[in-house]
Amino acid sequence: MIDSPGVTVTRTGEHGAFGGELLTVNFGPHHPSTHGVLRLIVDLDGEQIKRIQPVIGYLHTGIEKQMEALRWQQGVVVTDRHDYLSPPINNLAYALAVEKLMGVEVPPRAQALRVIMSELTRLSSHLVWMGTSGLELGAMSMLMYCFREREQIMDLNEEISGFRMHTSYIRPGGVFADSTPRFLEMLDKFVRQMPGHIDEYEDLLTMNPIWRARTIGIGRLPAEDAKVLGATGPMLRGSGVAWDLRKSMPYSGYESYDFEVAVSNDCDCYGRYLVRIKEMREAVKILQQALNRLPDGPINVDDRKMLPPPREELETSMEAVIHHFKLFTEGYTVPAGDAYVAVESGRGENGCYIVSDGTHKPRRVKFRSASFVNLQALERMALNHMVADMIAIIGTADTVLGDCDR
Amino acid sequence: MIADDLVIEKGVTARDQWVTVPAERIREVLNALKSDGYRLLVFLTCIDHLIDTSREFPARFEIVYQLRDLDRPAEIRVRTFLSGDSPRIDSVHDIFPPANWEERETYDMFGVVFTNHPGLTRILMPDDWVGHPLRRDYPVGGEVVEFSEEHQTWQTAPDEA
Repeated sequence: MIDSPGVTVTRTGEHGAFGGELLTVNFGPHHPSTHGVLRLIVDLDGEQIKRIQPVIGYLHTGIEKQMEALRWQQGVVVTDRHDYLSPPINNLAYALAVEKLMGVEVPPRAQALRVIMSELTRLSSHLVWMGTSGLELGAMSMLMYCFREREQIMDLNEEISGFRMHTSYIRPGGVFADSTPRFLEMLDKFVRQMPGHIDEYEDLLTMNPIWRARTIGIGRLPAEDAKVLGATGPMLRGSGVAWDLRKSMPYSGYESYDFEVAVSNDCDCYGRYLVRIKEMREAVKILQQALNRLPDGPINVDDRKMLPPPREELETSMEAVIHHFKLFTEGYTVPAGDAYVAVESGRGENGCYIVSDGTHKPRRVKFRSASFVNLQALERMALNHMVADMIAIIGTADTVLGDCDR
Repeated sequence: MIADDLVIEKGVTARDQWVTVPAERIREVLNALKSDGYRLLVFLTCIDHLIDTSREFPARFEIVYQLRDLDRPAEIRVRTFLSGDSPRIDSVHDIFPPANWEERETYDMFGVVFTNHPGLTRILMPDDWVGHPLRRDYPVGGEVVEFSEEHQTWQTAPDEA
């Protein structure tokens, strides 16, 4: 084995089943297929994996500590940045947790817009996953196709929020801005085109012999193990467990949408791929329904203590000026207590646990990230596989290291 | 169900059910809840209640276990309190495997020691880090940024003096 950038090899002195010595291979942290900066210390018997010790923390940015220094409404900006492939879903978990503790319910239009943004994000997150996994496993052209559609989602983000990636669109109390007619037009076009594009991806991958050879039977995770290891999202559904927070513990009005939970009984990398393809089709279905029955009405709660008054009121109302001033100097307070909300992101359960001490800043914010928990199943999945299969396994686990390290 | 003598307090906050139990009997409680159907540990974390006057707390550190029953579905939050100097509690990594890394993170960030943990080392911060960043008496900012100009001044300061 030759040393290459990001991979170093040492001999352990232990002997493997084939009489050879066990080799310890350091993989990463700077390696293109680790989806961020993940370091793995792998013990190999020949090419078989005997032990994996993941080393994380290279993308730790102290987000939870920063949240404690920011006011409740400022925290939204930081939540965008932990799972950088699905910012609106992170926003949603935080916003729902704050609203839950304050006992606030957002109006129907805001809920529908939140669903639209969540599903667009799920699509874009799965597209990045499929593009990069394809790239790693010998389907180079996938990336071009996936990023073509992802670009449209970025344009939609830009149209509704002004930002392409870190939208900060979903906020406690509602959403940042109403949808523009152009946004709805673009979304309509996107929703009509997307099923055809998903067929295209399937043409390229589902029966592709290289893709099948690299994924079928690789990284098996039986249902019982997946449950015990606390795996969520496509990792759990790819093992045949029909658990989706949108169905099982609905939030933001998901109970009123008609969609199916994507499940595959294959329990391997291919099964997780099938789950994601199905989920993309279901996301388009949800988008279609949300677009068809987007309710009229306000997009924010009518609470001047939580959200600023409309611009035009500031010129005529003294009250409005006071509210505006108080909100932007001091912020609002959240009653003392704690609340936990979990939402389904592209990777699994994205939860937010907040603790308030009754002041205008959080006492503690904990993000329960799917990547952090799912990564613990890596050793179970990769044991006795070839070292090259590890790439497929890390790929289909779809960990985002920013989410893992927070 | 958990035996009555294990429950110190129970209630509902913001529609979330919770129960406070004694720290030294945490394994007993979690085992009982697990056989009761709560088989998934959603998360485990710690809260530092240093100088929090909004409510009465029995001790400085609060360890929280969020458990879920996937079949019903139902959730319960188990709280337990640890005093400020050398906080210590039994590890539950063998009852709930996801707790392994969560306990390492809690140790890393709060300095809570989980006894009988198979490898209680720092997980997010570098191994040679001093202090536990998520404690409330640990400042935000103020630490020297490596490879920055400040870092150089700080490193060369003793020589110049």
